[in-house]
Formats: sequence, structure tokens, C-alpha cells
Amino acid sequence: MTLLHRLASMMRWVFRRNHAERELHDELRTFLDMAVAAKLHEGVSPAEAQRQAALDLGGLEQVKEQVRTTRHGAWLDELTLDMRYTLRSLRRNLGFSAVAVVSLALGIGANAAIFTLISAVMLRTLPVKEPAQLVQITRLLDDRPGVISYPLFEYFRDHVTSISSAFAQGTFDQAIVIDGEDEFVAADLVSGGYYNVLGIEPTAGRLLEPSDDALSASPAAVISDRYWQRRFGRSPSAIGKTFTIRDRIFTIVGVTPSTYEGARPGRAPDLMLPLLMVMNDVQRQATDFNWLNLLARLKPGATVEQANAETQALFTAFVQSQAARASEKERPAILRQRAAALSAPDGFNPIRDNIGQPLLILMGIVGLILMLACVNLSGLLLARGAARQREISIRLAIGAERGRLVRQFLTESLVLAVLGGGVGLSMAAWFSPKLFSLFVNGREIVLSVRPDWRVLIFTCVVSLLACCVAGLVPALQAVRVNVNPALKQARAQGQGHLGKALVVAQLAISMVLLVGATLFVGTLIRLYAVDPGFDSDGVLVVSVRTSRPYAAPRATAVQRALLDQLKTLAELRSVSAAQAIPVGGGLFDRGVQVEGYSFRAEESEQVAFNAIAPEYFATLETPLLAGREFTDRDSEDAPGVAIVNETFARYFFRNGLALGRHVTSVGVTYEIVGIVRDAKYQTLRDPVLRTLYIPWMQRPGQQPSNYSYLIRVAAGDPMRVVPNLERLVRRADPALRVRTAVTYTTLVDRSIGTERIMATLAGLFGLLALIVAGLGIFGVVAFQVARRTNELGVRIALGATRWAMTLLVLRGVVGMLAAGVVIGAGIALTLTRMTRAMLFGLAPTDPSVFVVAASVLAVAALLAGWLPARRASRVDPLVALRHE
Amino acid sequence: MDRMDIPQGTLDLMILTILTREPMHGYGLSQRLATLSHDSFQVNPGSLFPSLYRLEQDGKLKAEWRPSENNRNAKYYRLTAAGRKQLEQHRQRWDRIAFAITSVLEGA
Repeated sequence: MTLLHRLASMMRWVFRRNHAERELHDELRTFLDMAVAAKLHEGVSPAEAQRQAALDLGGLEQVKEQVRTTRHGAWLDELTLDMRYTLRSLRRNLGFSAVAVVSLALGIGANAAIFTLISAVMLRTLPVKEPAQLVQITRLLDDRPGVISYPLFEYFRDHVTSISSAFAQGTFDQAIVIDGEDEFVAADLVSGGYYNVLGIEPTAGRLLEPSDDALSASPAAVISDRYWQRRFGRSPSAIGKTFTIRDRIFTIVGVTPSTYEGARPGRAPDLMLPLLMVMNDVQRQATDFNWLNLLARLKPGATVEQANAETQALFTAFVQSQAARASEKERPAILRQRAAALSAPDGFNPIRDNIGQPLLILMGIVGLILMLACVNLSGLLLARGAARQREISIRLAIGAERGRLVRQFLTESLVLAVLGGGVGLSMAAWFSPKLFSLFVNGREIVLSVRPDWRVLIFTCVVSLLACCVAGLVPALQAVRVNVNPALKQARAQGQGHLGKALVVAQLAISMVLLVGATLFVGTLIRLYAVDPGFDSDGVLVVSVRTSRPYAAPRATAVQRALLDQLKTLAELRSVSAAQAIPVGGGLFDRGVQVEGYSFRAEESEQVAFNAIAPEYFATLETPLLAGREFTDRDSEDAPGVAIVNETFARYFFRNGLALGRHVTSVGVTYEIVGIVRDAKYQTLRDPVLRTLYIPWMQRPGQQPSNYSYLIRVAAGDPMRVVPNLERLVRRADPALRVRTAVTYTTLVDRSIGTERIMATLAGLFGLLALIVAGLGIFGVVAFQVARRTNELGVRIALGATRWAMTLLVLRGVVGMLAAGVVIGAGIALTLTRMTRAMLFGLAPTDPSVFVVAASVLAVAALLAGWLPARRASRVDPLVALRHE
Repeated sequence: MDRMDIPQGTLDLMILTILTREPMHGYGLSQRLATLSHDSFQVNPGSLFPSLYRLEQDGKLKAEWRPSENNRNAKYYRLTAAGRKQLEQHRQRWDRIAFAITSVLEGA
């Protein structure tokens, strides 16, 4: 009850303020009049009565103020007044306000942008029933989730007791024939328990059930809401439509809700198909054909740890039996496999595994930038407080409480922070999707990256923190005025110390950011310096696809025809093809026997293989060190030939003399006819493997779509040939289509995409920090020189050289710089450890990095201090001595 | 006798008590307070009016403008039902405290 009354009266004061104030005034005047009347009645003279009554009241305005401050909701009053005052004063000092809001907006905006990404990639959960109960059970590859085979899936599904249900999912991007047209769709193959585990409801029709996951005459399929919109415009006629995949007819039976976009963030499949209907026998039965992901739902009360323990035990039994059936050589590799059950509220999330760490590091960097902006703002506010000393002393002298003044200054910081936060948030909304596409660089990832409620809360908290950090100390400092002017000198001194401390803080933060920038830029430089073993300039990389695979003899004919067609392009230098291309991955492993070499027991017999077309190395411009390239005569009927790389030659043959020797693999014997320079086939960081190249005609059973086609142009931009590609491709075979066509430089850049982003952003932020720190030093030194004009004048008058004066001032800068560098280096040493995995060719504590960062900072600081320091040398002693 | 300041928190109690008899305006209240306490308590308007406004905000008093003795308009304060209840609680507590203190003083 009381609360309601209080609220009501608070509202009355807010909205009908004038009326309430007038009422208070009238009431107090009435009191006064009554008191006067009483005194007159006692016989006191009118003048005396007025005086006494006024004294008894104690001052009209004072009583009013007492009532105002002690009633409930007085704080609201205060806040409104402070807000209005702040807005007025900010409008008057537009320059200061703009600088403050912009620097806060940049700092808060950068933080909000990175957090938006973190929220989208790492914090979101699948929009299904109770996502916290989901676990992924999988083999591990380098501690990251890998894939499993179908028999393993069945094994886990049937034997792990902590889970109530599980499903397996595999990728199956295909061309389907629907309504007589070819269409390329992204499809997921899912086992029967898929929708049971997820617990979602269809928006139309029905979803796949366990009974659908069986060989049947009329298999069912489910489409996504996105595909329903795109292909059918959400028309109900989609249910019941049929389409064909490789001669099998599927019927669409339902649509998934629009909020659900698949169990893998970033991939939004159009179609969900039953696993058993599409799998071939190898995929279904081979225990070493790993291609599926498994997601399961925990039983109520079961924990991830229990599931994990069970998984470990079961997997050990599984690999034991797998090893027992395998050959002696393969056993160690099989037994080395590991598996685990991991909590997976966000499904299968390789994006998080890939860019999780860079994002966290970026979060740290932008956090430092915000701190820098706050410290900078603090300095500005401090200076402003110093300029308002007169105003503040007057206000204190006529009775303002210090606490009240501090609250008003904090309101100023609050308004700046709110404005900065608002602008920053809209910047983040614009910037986040762009940043994300940089990280993704070309891969097809479908993820909505916009600020959500988490980002909103985060921005509010950060803005408030910024307000407090930046505004508290200047506010407290500003009211520490001693109205006695004699002590003003000492006041200014204390303020000088605080100003210097702020600059040292800025320098320290800048040092940390510069160390980070140097590490990442250095990593990128070292990566670009790696010799990739080929020339990526002027090459176009093309891949093709078909709606159905070719029969074996047709496939090789199409491959030849495609290459012939591509050769007709004008302005061509050379054309070739390969199954794996440098920096693209895709090499396949095979065991080999090498003539004249016997493997020791623990040595691996696996060697990397690549199938290539003639003129491959000429197209790549990988130097041929000995022997020859493949030609058209190295066809499937001709004797087996192979080309090896340096690493292979040096490993197996003395002095690397490999020409003429023989290698046997899978029953085929190859004669080595050439040796080539090493090239990086995986990433630029990974070492080169022993590689054997065989002619593509001598690798049977492949499809044209398995190869990448390389086109080296004579001059100019390779992308110019793209418009002609589709035509040529169809001429090779009518069913053939172009899948992707990008320049090789783009591919190489994509492979080091994360490193490039980190270097760019870290470098940018380092530069920003440098500028801000420089401005800070400039301001402080200018202030110092102005303050010490007197002293400098005396020194010059006594005979000191002007040069010495400049040095005197610069000594202060050096002092701050030294402190900042040391503190910053100390902090950097502890923080940079976290970046170890992302660096290349540099250790996180590499001393040269720190030296470079410190030097850059020193140059910037000295430059910034130089200009105002020069003014110290120009002081005219006569003017200075008169200056007070 | 010197006028003392009113002990903290008891001003509300005394205001509510005085108003049980009849509604009053601010000046009347201050006079009545001085009279009843035999001039011991000096209540300055700087404490009286904030208390009145707080009590009114909390719903213990209700105020209305009425013509006063000399036909001027004055703001009269009246006790509400909630105010009566509050008074009862305060009164009981005050009695208990007074009794306890007296007992200690006499017993020691």
C-alpha cells in the first residue's frame, strides 16, 4: 500500500511539478503569515514581527530545499535536473562532446561487434527442446570432434545407456531433378531418430520417423522452411511433391519450422533424407569409412560425464575388435584412435572450433581499446574539471554538497556513455556481419550474425562500466577544491601527477596492443615468406559437378574432353588438372613398397598420392628438377609412371637419385620418371609430405567432379575467362556444370584468412592505440610546459640554453614512456601466451617483438612530446617572469 | 528551560498523535507541539514540513486546502486509516521502550 502511495506522489511531482512547487510555496507563506499574525497579537511591532517570524521559519528557500531533498523520489528529481544540465553543457562544448562520444562509441562498438560474433558462434543453442541435454558422441581428431562410421553409430546408439535416443547425420550435397529441372541442393542424410532427439514439430505435413529410415519403395523427405520459401513460395502444394535422386523417387512429406536450420550452425540444409535409402553398401558396412556425426539426448538425470565414461569403454572394445580384424601394420593406427562424448547444446559446431580462439583474443584486444578510450576520456574530463575550478569553488561556497556535485559530474559521464553505447551498438550491428564474412571468406556459411539480447545487456553493462571508470576519478578530483587560493598551487601539482599517471596507463595499454599487433603482423609476414612451391599469380581454379555420376569409361572420356575444350580458350598459357592442388588439401594416402628400400617396423608406409593431368607442373610453375612431366601417352594402357617430390626422393633414395626406380602400390608398379620441387599441399604452415604423383588416366574410378582444373592465362586477370567457361564445359558433356571458379591467389588468401584478419585488426588497433597515446602525451606535456613557464623563464634568464629546456621537458616524457613500456611489457608477457597456437615462426615471448613494439611506441611518444617541448625552448624570460 | 531538539524518529509519532483529535495545518501543529511539551520541544519548520510531506507520501496523512480561522486558505492534514494503524504500532513500541529503559534505570 505504502509503495503505491509513494509511486503516486512521485508521479505527481514529476508530471505536475509546477503545481506541487506552488502549493509548497503557498503553504510556507501561510505559515509565515500566521506566525506574524500571532506575534502582532502579542503586541510586537510589525517590522519586528516579520523579522522574528522569518527567523523562526529559518528561511523559505531552505525549508523548501529540505522538503525537496527528503521526500521520496528526490533522486529522480535530481537526476532529471542533472540530465538537463548535462545536455545543455554538452551542447555548448560540442567539440569536447563529439570527441568523447566518438572515442567511446569506437571502443564500445568494437566490443559489441566482437561480442555479437561470440554470441552467434559460441553462445547460441539449437532451437530445439532442451538443448542442454544434447551430447555429441564422436571420434576425436587432434582433440577436435571428428566423424564416425555407420557401424560405430549403431554400436553407440544401442549400447550407451545414458542416452535415450541418438541420430546420425551426414552431408550429401546433390543435384536433384524436381519438376523436370536440375537443381543443386544442400541435403543432410539423417537416421530415423533425428526428429525424436531434437523434439521439434513440423510447420506443415509430418517429419521423418524411425520407420522412414528403411529401404522402401516410396521414401520420404523433409524440406526446410527456407527451401519451402525459395522453391515453393510456402505453398501447401509442396507436400506430396516428388523429386528424383539418381533414379530414386522421393516424396516430400513435411516442412521443418523456420527457427530450425539444421544441427550444424552455419549450414542450412534444404532437404533431409533418410540415411538408409541413400547410403551405399560401403558406407553402411565399412568400420573404417568415417563420415557421420552423432547427436544424442541424455536420459533425465544422466550426465555428460557418465555418457563420456561409457563412450570411452565401449570405443575401446570397438577398436580392439577392429584391430583384431586388421593387418599387423594397420593395428597401431587403429588402436591410437580416441573417442568422447561432448556436451553439444549448439549441435555440431566446427565454426566455434575454428574461430573460437581468434574471437576470444580479439575480445581481449578490443577490451584493451575500450580501456584506452576510457583512460583517454578520463584525462579529458580531468582537464575539463581543472578548467571549471572557479565555477566549482563558487558553487561549493554558496552551499552545494560535494556529493551532489560529484553525482552531477557522474551524470555527465553517464550521458556520454549512453550516447557512446547507442552509437557503438548501431556500429556493431552494421559491422558484425561484415567481420563475420571476412572470417568465413568464401566458404558457404549461413548464420545470422546480428546483435541479440545478450549483446544488448553486454553493451549496457560495458557502457556503465566505461562511465564509472572514466568519470569517477575526475569527478572526485574536481570537487577536491580548497577555496583558499593560496593552496591552489598545491592543487595543480596533485592534478599533474594524476594526469601523468593516466598517460602512463595509456602507454602501458598501447604497449600491450603494439606487442599483439607485432606478433600477428609478424606471423602474416612469415607466412607470406614461405615458399609455397608454385606460382599462384594468373591462375584460375575451376571445379565442375554433375547431377549423376558417369559410368567409368565415360568418366575418363569426359575428363579428356573437358581439358581439350579448356585448351581452346584464347590467351592461354597452359591448362591442367589435379585431384589435389597446393594449399587446397585433398591428397590421399596409400601404402607403398619402394624398390631398394625396406621399411623398419615402426616406420609408416603411407605416402601421399595425387592424380594429375599432363602439363600440371608447368601450369603451376613448380620447377621440374629432373626427368619429365606426364603426357597424353601415359594413359591407362601404358606402363605405370610416377613423379615424386624432393622429400620423397631424398627420403627413399641415396642422393635423391630416384629416376628409373620403381614404386608399387595396391598391386600397380610405377616407374619414377620425374622429380619436382616440394610444394605445400595442405596449409602453408604444415610440413611437406612425401608425395607421389600419378597420371590421372592411371587412376581409375574417378569422376570429373573430383578434379580441380587449373587455367594459367598469358596475361591479365584470370577471371576474364569465366564467362566462357559454362559454354565450354557443356560442350565437353551436356550434363556438366561449372561449380566454382576462383583465382588461385584468392584461394591462397582464403587459406590464411584468419591470420590476415588478425594481422589487419591487430595492426589497426595498434595504430589506433598509438594515436591515442600520442594525443595523451601531447596534452600532458603542453599542460606541463604551460604550468612551468615561470620556472623555465627563470632558468633561461639565468643562462640555460634553449636546447637544454627542451631536453628538460622531454625527460619527463622519457620517464612516462619507460614506466609505460615496462608495465605494458609485463602485462603483455602474461597475456601473449594465449596466442601461441595462432602464431607462426614467432614465439609469444620473442624478445625482438617486444623491442620492435617498444621502439615504435618510443618514436611516437617522443614525436608527440617534441612539439610542445619545443615551445619550452621558445619561452621569453621577460614574458615568463611576469606570468603568474 | 532550554529548548531541546526532538529525538529522531519520534517526530512522526507526535504528529500522528496530535492529529488524532482534529485535522490541523502546519502552523497549528508547531504551536500545539510547543504547548503540549510545555515548551520543551523546539520543532523548526525545516524538520516539521519534511515529516509532514513524507507521511502524506506514504498515505498516513491526507491533505486538503480549507479556509482557516482567519478565513485564509491553509493546507490541513488529516489522519487516515493507515495512519491510525501506524500510530498504534508506533505507540506500542514507544511504550515498550520507555518501560524497558525505566526498568533498567530503577533496577540498576
